[in-house]
Amino acid sequence: MAQSSSAADGLSSIPALLQRNVERMGARPAYREKEFGIWQSWSWAETAAEIEALALGLLNLGVDEGDFIAIAGRNRPYFYWAMVATQCVGAIPVPVYQDSAAEEMAYVLDHCGARFAIVEDQEQVDKIIEVQDQLHQLEHMIYIDPRGLRKYDHHKLHQYSHVQEQGRAAREEFAEDLAARRAKLDYNSTCVMLYTSGTTGKPKGVVLSNRNIIEASKSSAEFDHLTKNEEVLAYLPMAWVGDFIFSIGQAYWCGFCVNCPESADTMQTDLREIGPTYYFAPPRVFETQLTNVMIRMEDAGRFKKWLFDHFMAHARKVGPAILDGKNVGLGARLKYALGNLLVYGPLKDTLGLARVRVGYTAGEAIGPEIFDFYRSLGINLKQLYGQTEASVFITLQPDGEVHSDTVGVAAPGVELRIADTGEVFYRSAGVFEEYYKNAESTASTKDAEGWVATGDAGFIDEATGHLRIIDRAKDVGQMADGQMFAPKYVENKLKFYPNILEAVVFGNGRKQCAAFINIDLSAVGNWAERNNIGYASYQELAGHPKVLETIKSHVEEVNRSLAEDPMLAHCQVHRFLVLHKELDADDGEMTRTRKVRRGVISEKFEDLLGALYDGSDEIYTTTEVTYEDGRKGSISATLKIIDAEVVPVDAPQQEAAE
Amino acid sequence: MPEQFIWGIEVFLNGLMAGVLYALVALGFVLIYKASGIFNYAQGVMALFAALTLVGIMEGQVPFSHLINATFGTEIHHFGWHVPAFAAILLTMVVMIALAWVVNTLIFKHLVNQEPIILFMATIGLAYFLEGFGDMMWGSDIKTLNVGLPQGINPVIDEVTYNIFDYGFFIDNLDIVATVIAAALVFTLIVFAQYTKQGRAMRAVADDHQAALSVGISLNFIWVMVWSLAGFVALVAGIMWGTKSGVQFSLSLIALKALPVLMLGGFTSIPGAIVGGLLIGVGEKLFEFAIGAPYLGGATEIWFAYVLALIFLVFRPQGLFGEKIIERV
Amino acid sequence: MLDATEGYTTEDGRKIGGVVMEMKNITLRFGGVTAIEDISFDVHEGEIRAIIGPNGAGKSSMLNVISGFYNPQEGEVWYKGAKRPPMKPYQVARQGIARTFQNIALFEGMTVLDNVMTGRIRQMKAGLLSQALWKGKAEREEVENRAFVEKIIDFLEIQHIRKTPVGRLPYGLKKRVELARALAAEPSILLLDEPMAGMNVEEKEDMSRFVLDVNDEFGTTIVLIEHDMGVVMDLSDRVVVMDYGKKIGDGTPDEVRGNQAVIDAYLGVAHD
Repeated sequence: MAQSSSAADGLSSIPALLQRNVERMGARPAYREKEFGIWQSWSWAETAAEIEALALGLLNLGVDEGDFIAIAGRNRPYFYWAMVATQCVGAIPVPVYQDSAAEEMAYVLDHCGARFAIVEDQEQVDKIIEVQDQLHQLEHMIYIDPRGLRKYDHHKLHQYSHVQEQGRAAREEFAEDLAARRAKLDYNSTCVMLYTSGTTGKPKGVVLSNRNIIEASKSSAEFDHLTKNEEVLAYLPMAWVGDFIFSIGQAYWCGFCVNCPESADTMQTDLREIGPTYYFAPPRVFETQLTNVMIRMEDAGRFKKWLFDHFMAHARKVGPAILDGKNVGLGARLKYALGNLLVYGPLKDTLGLARVRVGYTAGEAIGPEIFDFYRSLGINLKQLYGQTEASVFITLQPDGEVHSDTVGVAAPGVELRIADTGEVFYRSAGVFEEYYKNAESTASTKDAEGWVATGDAGFIDEATGHLRIIDRAKDVGQMADGQMFAPKYVENKLKFYPNILEAVVFGNGRKQCAAFINIDLSAVGNWAERNNIGYASYQELAGHPKVLETIKSHVEEVNRSLAEDPMLAHCQVHRFLVLHKELDADDGEMTRTRKVRRGVISEKFEDLLGALYDGSDEIYTTTEVTYEDGRKGSISATLKIIDAEVVPVDAPQQEAAE
Repeated sequence: MPEQFIWGIEVFLNGLMAGVLYALVALGFVLIYKASGIFNYAQGVMALFAALTLVGIMEGQVPFSHLINATFGTEIHHFGWHVPAFAAILLTMVVMIALAWVVNTLIFKHLVNQEPIILFMATIGLAYFLEGFGDMMWGSDIKTLNVGLPQGINPVIDEVTYNIFDYGFFIDNLDIVATVIAAALVFTLIVFAQYTKQGRAMRAVADDHQAALSVGISLNFIWVMVWSLAGFVALVAGIMWGTKSGVQFSLSLIALKALPVLMLGGFTSIPGAIVGGLLIGVGEKLFEFAIGAPYLGGATEIWFAYVLALIFLVFRPQGLFGEKIIERV
Repeated sequence: MLDATEGYTTEDGRKIGGVVMEMKNITLRFGGVTAIEDISFDVHEGEIRAIIGPNGAGKSSMLNVISGFYNPQEGEVWYKGAKRPPMKPYQVARQGIARTFQNIALFEGMTVLDNVMTGRIRQMKAGLLSQALWKGKAEREEVENRAFVEKIIDFLEIQHIRKTPVGRLPYGLKKRVELARALAAEPSILLLDEPMAGMNVEEKEDMSRFVLDVNDEFGTTIVLIEHDMGVVMDLSDRVVVMDYGKKIGDGTPDEVRGNQAVIDAYLGVAHD
């Protein structure tokens, strides 16, 4: 593949796309943000002016080409502008998770050697000041919200709007330099650097070029026929590659409008007001929404509940088929239309999903019931499989070919390969340039021909031709008898139950599988309330005999379903316990993106793990916890260990034991 | 189509129209109850008083003529002029506002923070006083009220229904006008309460006195305003009822019909008063038509509403729209 | 008489203006009980002034005197250079003195937005007729007031509950809504009656931050009463200490902390 340094149509950078959008649709809205209760909006032309002012201001502050500029805040137009302004002056934006702890932020800022940081408010400023003696390269901080910052030393601290004002004032001085720097940007220049949280080790800085971002955005936008008329709600972390692709890559490529919520807490209301046509959410969000709907229906009047149950049953039967354009009888269609009028429509409206034309979920497996629930309502929810290193897209589900247990076909321009080990490899124009300052990891992930190891094990489903992901490749292990051990697969099955928030399954090198389980406080708490079961804490609820009984029945159901799959029948959970605390990123038990850290957990709860395998009935344990304000404390409890029924497996599978 | 069914429709429509009047009276109760916690037994008498005053002003009657004649031995009854209906209505409203001010200043201002039962007793006193005062002022003879509202059978409905059912419905023009006016009144009240400064202040006072004071709302002003509003609603109800069946003492008894309406709809809900009124209006007419007259010897209209209200009290004490009465634990 | 020209500068460099309110020899009795006995103190423009004391010291009574809920038998209240005649609470509110209540007095059945909007009643002047027609002045006024209220809502971070009926909110948020309503009145003096009462540590920290930010951002003069010494000392510029209805100390937090009478009142003789 010969790679030229510019795109065929000359649009080889985000600033170039911005320029094109101003020319073609300058008056159309590019950004909206709800502030002071009103949706404020900025057209493409206004956006370009804001970005230019900021870029000039950055030049005024002395930003050099190749500098890294860290960006930390919630989704706001100002931060999106900051990213593009950074690109305009030839620097590289590095969005950072705004909720990360000071130490984590310090690592990232130090690793990339950021000279500038653009942040939201006092909270972020304080966080960086706290660690500033570790950051020798950091020179200036720019903040958006001046509240509480008035008394700070402003030698190296600047208000965003002031930087813009100074930029406008200094236009004559810097305009030429800005134009020259912008003109230098090509397909090979770095578009953005994103740190992957990773389940192990320190975060890695993934360098993505303009080619990566624009090619990935272009082909995926064509795949789903995205146009300038889409509306999206930007609410997922800006440091996550998905938000960068949806809210910058595809938004600039297609020219659609990015809407920013008023605050994290108002997201649901804002969603309803905007009614996005293109929507992404991790499975967790869909799960929570569904749980809320179900809770509300429990409290609803008898007639309303009957109506809901009746029409939902019908929707489950024919909804997905209607959505896929399959043959459905006229009577069923009419009834579905009536249901749409009475139940589905109002429900979709409440959920804010009434206008969704293309919806995606990814990141974790989604429960089939949850997935089908949304599809049966007529929402075109699909799955994709992606990575930061791929500029998101590896596989996508085409319209009409949607299955809850696969992740779809190779995205346009992506080649797939399954290695002998079962690991999935891919190659595409979106493949990242390198891990910043980490040649070793780059080499071990991407080979000379451009194939990238996903780290996930999977196979191509014969019936559908779609990719099916089983587990993290490194997590797939062997049990004592040599059979395949796929913990994540089992964990996901467990997590599909609303009562189970997290599960950690063990069994590598052992004779049988066992599990730690976290109950879902809102779901189980709600159940407890309805059944007049009092509880004072998570811990107390988690130890309640009735709760344990319920969880046991869930585990046994999972066992029965596992037993039907010859590849995985031996992964049935023999024993389990319900943990006395919620697994938490603050305690290092999970990543910030809420993936369990198996290693940390098995070390930290070594005693509990031992008890699962030594046959004891209960165990007393003490665990250190970190509170939200950073203080430490400890909790102790006596945990019951429960034996779950397993379905006997007749003969070990020959292939698997190989 | 069976005749019974067609007649049923007609009864239903007539019930709806009667219900509108119940709703109108109930509305006056709700306004005062919400804002001050007073259950105003005098609401019905206020409607009578308003109607009497209106007639008196229109016909140029000299107020307190009996008293004056008895004291001074004169024989004056009329000023000898007639006041046009619209001007008379405005003047009556001024009288009702003055009444509101007097009632609040002389009575209820001094009873702040008293038990509800004491406030209720005060309104009973007010009711009897007002009744006597009305008699004294305007005389106790039955009067006819005509402010120019159309009356009599509506020929269009009669003809249309005749063409469809072969049977012309008897719908009184006055009932149609009453419905339209009541709907407009309710709409205005809701807009007033939701979107104006005074409406917001009224809701604030209804909710919490202390908090209302702390944001600069004068309780007395709001109470006078609410009593005036109730007086206005009473005037509208008085005009409708008075036009229909003459201005006489029985008008004050419609207040008692409003009671079951409130039990049904909830004492604190404006939509409740409306739906409650319609339900009772329709309910009692249909019950009389379908069960009362053929099987129970008729006259069920007198007690039907109360029985319905009793049933509601047992199963849903807060009414259809009232706030749930839940003791927090 | 009243010298309103003298200001001072706080330790952290804030400029405090002249006297905006002065209480002179206030005595308040309920029947035979004397709740406040001959107390005098002043409040400067832009400062955070605390009144502290053990339970039953008369702090709340003093706040009620300032806000017009009680009228004292003796003494004078001077406000903005003029002696204030006996007043009703709503008249005091209209003079620009807003308050919150220890036990929260909100309009439970109304939404957060409506609650905060009631704080603007003082600023709404359009007549009923122009409101009815939704014309000119009334429309402009409503839009301006709503915009101001939205700034407060944003400031106190309660956007997510804007349309929620107050009755459904948890305690901590109610306290914040009450503060929002008081702020919406753009008060010259903001009276806070035990703003941290019944809160957990985290909520207390949030509330302290809001109080400081309000003072910093809007320059609002704040008078607060509190029995939690720790909170008060961090927040306030000057402190009045009351015990048994009498003033036993007055000065900066440091001065008050060293005052023997204060130490006795807090450590020696507890009486609640």
